[in-house]
Amino acid sequence: MKREAFTKLCHHVSLQGDTGLSKKILPVVQAYRTKQQCKKLPVIWIETNCSGDNNIAFMNTADPYVGEVFKAIIDLLYSNTFMAAQGKDALKLLNEAAKRYKHQFTLVVEGAIPIKDNGIYNVIARTENYRLTALEAVKWLGPLAKYVVALGTCGSFGGATAGRPNITGSVGVRDVLEREVINVSGCPVNPDWFVGTLSHLLMYGKPELDDLGRPVLFYGYTVHKHCQRRSYFDNGDFAKKLGDSECMFSQGCMGPRTGADCPYRQWINHVSWPVKVNTPCIGCTNEDFPDGSSPFFVPLPEKAKKRETKKRMNNGEGDEA
Amino acid sequence: MSKQRITFSPVTRLSGLLSVDVMVDKGKIVEANASGTMFRGYEWLMCGRHVTDGVYMTQRVCGICSLAHGAIASYLLDELYDNELSENAQYLRNIMLAADFIQNHIRHFYVFSLPDFVKMPDYPPFEGQNLKDARLNPEDNKRLVEHYFLAIKAAQQSHQILALFGGKAPHQHSFIHGGVAVAPTVDKMTQAQALITDIGEFVKQCMIPDTELIARVYNDYFKIGVTPRNLLSFGLFKFGVKNEKTLWRSGVLAGNQITQPEARLIHENISRAWYQEDDDLEFRCSKLKPDPYKPEAYSWIKSALYGGGHFEGGPLARMIINGWVNGGTGTMDRIYARSLETLMITKLMEKWLGKLKPGPAPLNQKKIPVKSKVTAMTDAMRGPLFHYAHVEKEEVVQYDIITPTVWNFSPKDQHDNRGPVENALVGTEIPKPDMLYTILGRIIRSFDPCIACATHVLDVKENIKAEVLI
Repeated sequence: MKREAFTKLCHHVSLQGDTGLSKKILPVVQAYRTKQQCKKLPVIWIETNCSGDNNIAFMNTADPYVGEVFKAIIDLLYSNTFMAAQGKDALKLLNEAAKRYKHQFTLVVEGAIPIKDNGIYNVIARTENYRLTALEAVKWLGPLAKYVVALGTCGSFGGATAGRPNITGSVGVRDVLEREVINVSGCPVNPDWFVGTLSHLLMYGKPELDDLGRPVLFYGYTVHKHCQRRSYFDNGDFAKKLGDSECMFSQGCMGPRTGADCPYRQWINHVSWPVKVNTPCIGCTNEDFPDGSSPFFVPLPEKAKKRETKKRMNNGEGDEA
Repeated sequence: MSKQRITFSPVTRLSGLLSVDVMVDKGKIVEANASGTMFRGYEWLMCGRHVTDGVYMTQRVCGICSLAHGAIASYLLDELYDNELSENAQYLRNIMLAADFIQNHIRHFYVFSLPDFVKMPDYPPFEGQNLKDARLNPEDNKRLVEHYFLAIKAAQQSHQILALFGGKAPHQHSFIHGGVAVAPTVDKMTQAQALITDIGEFVKQCMIPDTELIARVYNDYFKIGVTPRNLLSFGLFKFGVKNEKTLWRSGVLAGNQITQPEARLIHENISRAWYQEDDDLEFRCSKLKPDPYKPEAYSWIKSALYGGGHFEGGPLARMIINGWVNGGTGTMDRIYARSLETLMITKLMEKWLGKLKPGPAPLNQKKIPVKSKVTAMTDAMRGPLFHYAHVEKEEVVQYDIITPTVWNFSPKDQHDNRGPVENALVGTEIPKPDMLYTILGRIIRSFDPCIACATHVLDVKENIKAEVLI
């Protein structure tokens, strides 16, 4: 409705002198709001097996703050963390959103998906006689979504939840869906990577992805490439211990094989990042995090060796327990 | 009409996944089963790793209270390696831990709990709120909604303090065994001072008055969701060269008796949890294994018992045990105590920032373990937290974690005794059927549930308990 017509309607209704004003205006306002809301990105956010660190990380976004993200960028139609609705009211909203925004909504999956025993290790909601597992929910919603975003390293690749011995058989979202998944990894995610990805989807569609399905604009360069301490590395000037101000490669830094822009983006209003506080990057955005990074404080070339030695020892002493 | 079983699921606005089944009979809740519906198996994950990985690994148990795990894992390693902590390390560690507490409490009160009492705006994610029994006048309601959005920034600022010193949040990097890896320099201290001043203002101007308003308007909730006043705290904010002092005292309150908690009296029970004894040692790290089809079980959360009884932890338990509050143990008491604690912690942080001296990284890590079995106990945001490690050649043989939610959301034990949340729910009157969710939500969230934390297998068995040293 154009502004003139709207003014005329208000004027006309007010002349009638009854209480019908809001009844007549509200549908117009609602129609306008609905139209506006269509311009936001409809999002269904499912929490699965993860520490819940990514929704906390999301709450750390600054400019825009979360309130502004809700108002201007996304319509968060379902979210275990944020939604005001609860119980069956929440499930009803989930069902409605999946129908109403079919092939329009973005599915955000925060966490790994246990697939062992039909996924019984993670039930996102129950009714009196039914358990909706994370596995079933993702298989149901995945094909209906316009985009699927795996949030955090657990959602992207399995992460800590799928670390050895992975007794719940947890995997990343990409392993349960036969479709493209945008992986926004990190343990937790840097809120800029996530809010940035959502904004990109809203305004420009799918961002360019690397071979792990991650937006190149955040994960395209290694930590090592942009590290403030790169000159120390190049000069062979390595930290003797944690807390030192030289290169952290000697202390287990995963920067050389970790794609992320931490050195210049930094964390929580861009104030710091792990190497800046004299500790190594532990490669939390990587496909093989945490197993590929552990032991965390052992230099990169020796990590794999240590793990290999241990494996051999364990195999050799198979019945030691 | 006969009893009716109603499933309240998902219990939204919390960390992790929770369902609660209640039996309602003649307008009253006569039974309740709280069910943690996620399982990650974190203790198996810890098994075989280098023990110093524990600080970063265990933070990943929980997103909203990550540093509580980081801190206790550091205390554990301090004892294992016999570290000595400088005064600066002690202050800096507590400043960082305080920052994580403040973000947790602000987020819990505003983001999770407030929509139980305040009508939120009618757009996502607040649509379909279905809040029955909304009592605030429009003006107050509007102001509290505005404060919801201010709270988002205040909590973010608190994590900014943590990131200033810890590199990132959640899952900070510098608070590790032997002290803190970051140098407290005057620029960081000034920034932190400015941020905590802002946060302190928010807590004083908004959070405390908002809590008082809600407590006044919903004052019947002091009498709703009452628990049996069996309270437990492992103490909070460790000081001393060997972490030997605890600023806020620990205690076990049963009846009018306060005693000091002892690890040997902590028992666990899997009667109603989805686990079974594991004799075939399929998983070598634990004597238990998951059993998701166990018929009598209804939760991934085990029962944690102290001296055979269920205990409640959290801000209210800390306040009562320390003698700062002498009220009841109802829903509003728990909410009130959390806000009060937030104010106290902002003041402590300001004080500690004043004591911190600019200087090099206060870190001194010793390299050779002096023990093979260590236990650490402290309070986290939601209550008592326990880590235990058995280590051989610096490698984890066994790692056990008992989180606060395991105490608070404990399912029934073998005698069908209820844990704190189930106790709080049973006996509650539901004046009208459509008020059920609202009432359940208010009571349950007052415990600040964190299911991400709760659903790990613990294995503090008799034989191990005998060896636990505290």
